[in-house]
Amino acid sequence: MAKPKVALYWAASCGGCDVAVLDTNEKILDIANLVDIVFWPIALDFKYHHVKAMEDGSIDLCLFNGAVRSSEQEDIARLLRAKSKVMVAFGACACFGGIPALANFTNRDEIFERVYIESPSSANENRTFPQTLTRVAEGELELPELFDTVLTLAQVVDVEYFVPGCPPPVDIILKVVDLFATGKLPPVGAVIASDKTLCDECERIKEEKKITRIYRPHEIIPDPERCLLEQGIICCGPATRGGCGLRCIKANMPCRGCFGPPPGVVDQGAKLVSAIASIYQGNDEEDIARMVVEVVDPAGTFYRFGLADSLLKRKRIQQAKGRVE
Amino acid sequence: MTKITIDPITRLEGHGKIEIFLNDEGDVANAYLQIPELRGFEKFCEGRPVEEMPRIVPRICGV
Repeated sequence: MAKPKVALYWAASCGGCDVAVLDTNEKILDIANLVDIVFWPIALDFKYHHVKAMEDGSIDLCLFNGAVRSSEQEDIARLLRAKSKVMVAFGACACFGGIPALANFTNRDEIFERVYIESPSSANENRTFPQTLTRVAEGELELPELFDTVLTLAQVVDVEYFVPGCPPPVDIILKVVDLFATGKLPPVGAVIASDKTLCDECERIKEEKKITRIYRPHEIIPDPERCLLEQGIICCGPATRGGCGLRCIKANMPCRGCFGPPPGVVDQGAKLVSAIASIYQGNDEEDIARMVVEVVDPAGTFYRFGLADSLLKRKRIQQAKGRVE
Repeated sequence: MTKITIDPITRLEGHGKIEIFLNDEGDVANAYLQIPELRGFEKFCEGRPVEEMPRIVPRICGV
């Protein structure tokens, strides 16, 4: 019997999800024995035309990492969707937008201006920016269009499963492989991680959830045994799905939410605002005003990995005629 | 003029494609390396707290 066919792809990503697959170490050999990998740009030399030549539905499983922020990434997402029986949003970027979706606080023009004009290493007096079509002496060159708005994979194509994390931990990757190999895949739409919050899984001592101020790292040495949030350090644990193995917490670092919202939470950032506001002890308007200022970058902290998938989705874009979208 | 497209470049971190133009003799007239990707860390790191940078910029490259 032919081995199941698997594709892996990276869109707007860093390659960390691909490396996480390799972090399965010697088990990667078991995976390689179990399946035929038919597309995996980081590791194997298959081209887009090879994928286009495949029959629709001929790939059994596609692990798609990275957010979608260009026309090429959207095209490849649609291509792989058509070719794949099971599409998995693999990692925080594909699931929620991830770190690249912080770009939804800005837009394409501002990014181009910063990258190609303002950056200290740019010498670009003619204001040359990437073009989708460039005519050169020999012919034409094409580049994809960069979107103003970073999208999650599920905002572009239908997705069967979600594997969160930045990157997904090895035990979850092996679980995905096992579920696939044994044909015990969960109902469509499932998030393959814990159903608890990170706080529920955290082993730190929790006493009383009351804080009077927020501390930044240079203002406090965190007690490695006690709940970080109770020490006044912003931790996204109350509004983040567990299953990560407490990687940051064990390094005495607060959670930043890369596993996305727990079951039943629609908007991770709003839930975090609610969680922190409910433990912040203030007596009057002055206290409240001080507390708000103490949270240095609320949007970028509470929506660190989830802006594209949030209700906010992005910062409004001012149009030339004063129209907003 | 014949165009050979290598897309994507594989087995490296990042995204790239190569366009090679051949002249009538079949020799390379010119070749272009294009990077069809931009995320904009330079811009979206602005305004984030400095202590968060060690948790944001590792995602430039995770390989």
